[in-house]
Amino acid sequence: MTIITDALTYLAYILIFPGFLFCFLSGMLLCGIDRKLVARMQKRVGPPVLQPFYDFFKLLGKETIVPAAANKTVFLMAPLVGLAAQVVLQLFIPVFSFHAFRGVADVIVVLYLLLIPALSVILGAASSGSPYAGVGLSREMVTVLAVELPLVLVLLAVAKTVGNALGTGLCFSLTDIVRCQMENGSLITRLSMIPAAVAMLLIIPGETGSHPFDAAEAETEICEGMLAEYSGAPLAVYKLSHAVKLLTMTTLFTALFLGGIGGGVQQLVSGLAPSLAGGIAIVLEIIILFLLSVVLVAVTVSFTHAVTARLRIEQLFKFYWTVVTGLAAISVVLAWYGL
Amino acid sequence: MMIQHFPILAIMAYFLAAFLIVVFGKNRTVRNVLGFLGTAIPLCLLIALAKPILIQNQIIAYWMGNRVPAGGYAIGIALEVDAMGLFFGLLIATAVFVAMLYSFSYMSHDDNEPQYYTLFLMLCGGVMGLVLSGDLFNMFIMVEILTFAAVALTAFRNTVFGALEAAFKYLVVGCIGSTCILAGTIMLYAQAHTLNFAQLAAFLPGNLNLATMVAYALLFIGFCTKAFIVPFHPLAADAHGAAPAPVSVLISGVLTKSGLYGILRLTYILFRTMNLGTVQFWLVFLGSVSMFVCVTMALAQHDFKRLLAFHSISQIGYVLTAAGLATALGVSSGLYHAMNHTLFKGLLFLCAGAVLHETGTTDLGKLGGLSKRMPKTTVLFLIGAFSISGIPPFNGFASKWLIYQATYQKAVESGSIGFLLVTVVCLVTSTLTLASFVKVTQSVFFGQLPKEYDNVKEVPFGMRFAMGILALLCILTGLFPGFVTNYLTEPAARAVFGANGYIDAMMGSGYAEGFGLADTLPVSFANVGIWSPISWLCLLLIMTLAVTIVAVSSKYDAVSKAARQSDPLPLADLEAATAAYLPTAPANPAPRYATGHAAEGKYELFFGGEESVYSQVGGDDMFWGFKHNWRHYFSFMHELHSGIVNDYALWAVIALALAMLYAMIIL
Repeated sequence: MTIITDALTYLAYILIFPGFLFCFLSGMLLCGIDRKLVARMQKRVGPPVLQPFYDFFKLLGKETIVPAAANKTVFLMAPLVGLAAQVVLQLFIPVFSFHAFRGVADVIVVLYLLLIPALSVILGAASSGSPYAGVGLSREMVTVLAVELPLVLVLLAVAKTVGNALGTGLCFSLTDIVRCQMENGSLITRLSMIPAAVAMLLIIPGETGSHPFDAAEAETEICEGMLAEYSGAPLAVYKLSHAVKLLTMTTLFTALFLGGIGGGVQQLVSGLAPSLAGGIAIVLEIIILFLLSVVLVAVTVSFTHAVTARLRIEQLFKFYWTVVTGLAAISVVLAWYGL
Repeated sequence: MMIQHFPILAIMAYFLAAFLIVVFGKNRTVRNVLGFLGTAIPLCLLIALAKPILIQNQIIAYWMGNRVPAGGYAIGIALEVDAMGLFFGLLIATAVFVAMLYSFSYMSHDDNEPQYYTLFLMLCGGVMGLVLSGDLFNMFIMVEILTFAAVALTAFRNTVFGALEAAFKYLVVGCIGSTCILAGTIMLYAQAHTLNFAQLAAFLPGNLNLATMVAYALLFIGFCTKAFIVPFHPLAADAHGAAPAPVSVLISGVLTKSGLYGILRLTYILFRTMNLGTVQFWLVFLGSVSMFVCVTMALAQHDFKRLLAFHSISQIGYVLTAAGLATALGVSSGLYHAMNHTLFKGLLFLCAGAVLHETGTTDLGKLGGLSKRMPKTTVLFLIGAFSISGIPPFNGFASKWLIYQATYQKAVESGSIGFLLVTVVCLVTSTLTLASFVKVTQSVFFGQLPKEYDNVKEVPFGMRFAMGILALLCILTGLFPGFVTNYLTEPAARAVFGANGYIDAMMGSGYAEGFGLADTLPVSFANVGIWSPISWLCLLLIMTLAVTIVAVSSKYDAVSKAARQSDPLPLADLEAATAAYLPTAPANPAPRYATGHAAEGKYELFFGGEESVYSQVGGDDMFWGFKHNWRHYFSFMHELHSGIVNDYALWAVIALALAMLYAMIIL
């Protein structure tokens, strides 16, 4: 019996929460909120918040066109694998005290799993044979390169700081990173971690490819680049993947820097209703997580989108490898000397 | 005991097959059978040795003619096989066996096939003899055999542009390396009056004087030339560019391993200097520089095989870095990566060979769209590319991930921020590797198919079979890292740290203690990371299945091809409209949309219909945004790599001088 209940539990994790359904709903909602916010900042009315859902279902009903030069199998499979990898990645990011799959992947693995969705878009684009996609994928790869260095440094800084706090020297487990913050307070409250947190905030728009770091998609010059040849259902899947990536990056930020909020929630709930603590806490944590994601998206994605213009690809690269890397490096050095 | 004889039989099988092919090799069937047996028998013999040596921790000491040491002096010729030697031997035997299988189809159009197989087997025998040898002078002889076989094989297709030049460069710098090894051997003999490894290993740690340290530097640089560590990397690029693909597998997967083996044997067992911070720094520094310089050099290449050659050294840099950490986890992860390097780099070189075999070129600027004509090769290539770029769950990730852990742990333990920098370099190099393989994928297998490759076919089954073996091994070693570390790399790493056992197995127990030597380093393979590839793969498969079911149920597969020939409208209209503006209207527009050629597909509408305006995004300038920011570095590198053999020989001499100076300072 336990095997069956275990299997069902895990299936629920995979398909409902924090897996597919949760990713679908909250990712799309984040996307809609982002579009609305940008519109309001630009004094437009903007689409309804639920517009991404309408777009998604409409695209599903549209015709799928495969270019003659394309390798059909790769062209059609790439979006699906990319989405699956993106959602699986979400399973490894803890929701404060709740962590669905804790024994599978650590921070370094998460860093590499982040590459898989990007890689699947790149392969899909390459297989389409389109020159626009070719330009797009080369820029996407440079964007990935640009973001990688500061992201590595941020993760190393976090690993070292948490390792110091736990007394193990270094710590790569996301569960432990969040647990440590729930006991000792969020990392963002430490002076040494603030540069890393700022760097991470700047990494979010780069990873998700939003303004001003959207050289790879650049609708106005290369027709959305890698998505140029996609239509119908595969395009819908890519849009969904992008929305989930927004969620992944913001929840990753929360796990790395704002984990301490989980401790506060636990205390609050156990003070108010000790008998129902577990159940209420998890619901509250999910709601808080989502609200934090909204705030992070508003700050990093919507606001920068509204106030900046697109950078050229080599400017983007330079920005990440100087300013953002510098910020992250400051944190690493400070963390190294135990500040 | 029978297994005592297995090592010498393994070496003999290669040489015997080589000589028999000279005599009876005129007939293709006889030649292929001899070649097959000559590589399969050593592989079987070494696999039979795996259980006693890797699992039961035995060490085989074998004296030719039973001339065992007398009076504490080892005079006879000896073979000694410990777990490290066997680990490298297994890698070599596997790579060689696969390369031989591949050669049967690949080389079947060449002249002088008997000579090819003879040289091939001589090279294999040389490397195998090197890793199983128990004394320094035989090691030198094997180095000579393998160097000259490799030089001759590099120039085997001497009609290929640059082949003779590459072989000449390799000959010059390779000989400088061999001379260094000989000079080092002589100096050690003068000091210790023995050439036996075990006896040297007992004598040297207590006698680190000026002469032995200079010998140390000489041997070290000698083995560096065999592993193509920076500054010897340009040789590898030239040699790989010219050599036939199976020979590239030997040079990158086998020959570089012999250099690494030499470095490990030298630094850990003979001199036991790895507890010195200065030696650790020297290895890690060379490794990191190789890693980074070669990956950036690879990004700048526009020839498939040259690009792979630079990556090869970049990966060797990982191994050297990890080995230089002098921690159990570091050595174990380095050996793991050495194994993976043999597997994925072999696979990639064979894929490059397949492309060359079918299209006649490896120029990234000329190729494109081959995935439609060679789908199976494309899949095999992608497996290799994912492995080398460290994409989970392939094997490159498993070993690189351990290397990151090892470098970071070393940084924390030693409190030195320099090792932290090494971790960052490792991580960034991995992404740069991915970038350059995206470039290869886009320019060779995806993108648009040039017209002249319209009739390209899939490679023969024999070649695909050989590539398939390596691809399967890449996946398996990635999915079961626990198995690999438990049964292969950790025993080998224990042997690296167990110099006393190595000495005693040969000279009789208690011999090492007589010199006051003790194995000091603690052997703990613990790491703090979490990675369970099987669980991840299960999750990914379930998720992909779920997503696919949802997608298929919502018309995902209701695909309509835009470019069907039968579509009358609106393409016909567009054709008519553009035809008016074209200088020469196409005579027969009907098949235009069926093939998707560069100049014939629908993109001509965007590009004004002129072939000259068409821009293939591939090859040279793929990552402009990256290279622009690094333009000073790249132009510096460009000037440095002049391609003149005098320069490279000068680098070798400078490297030797620096190494000697450094060795004297350590002293």
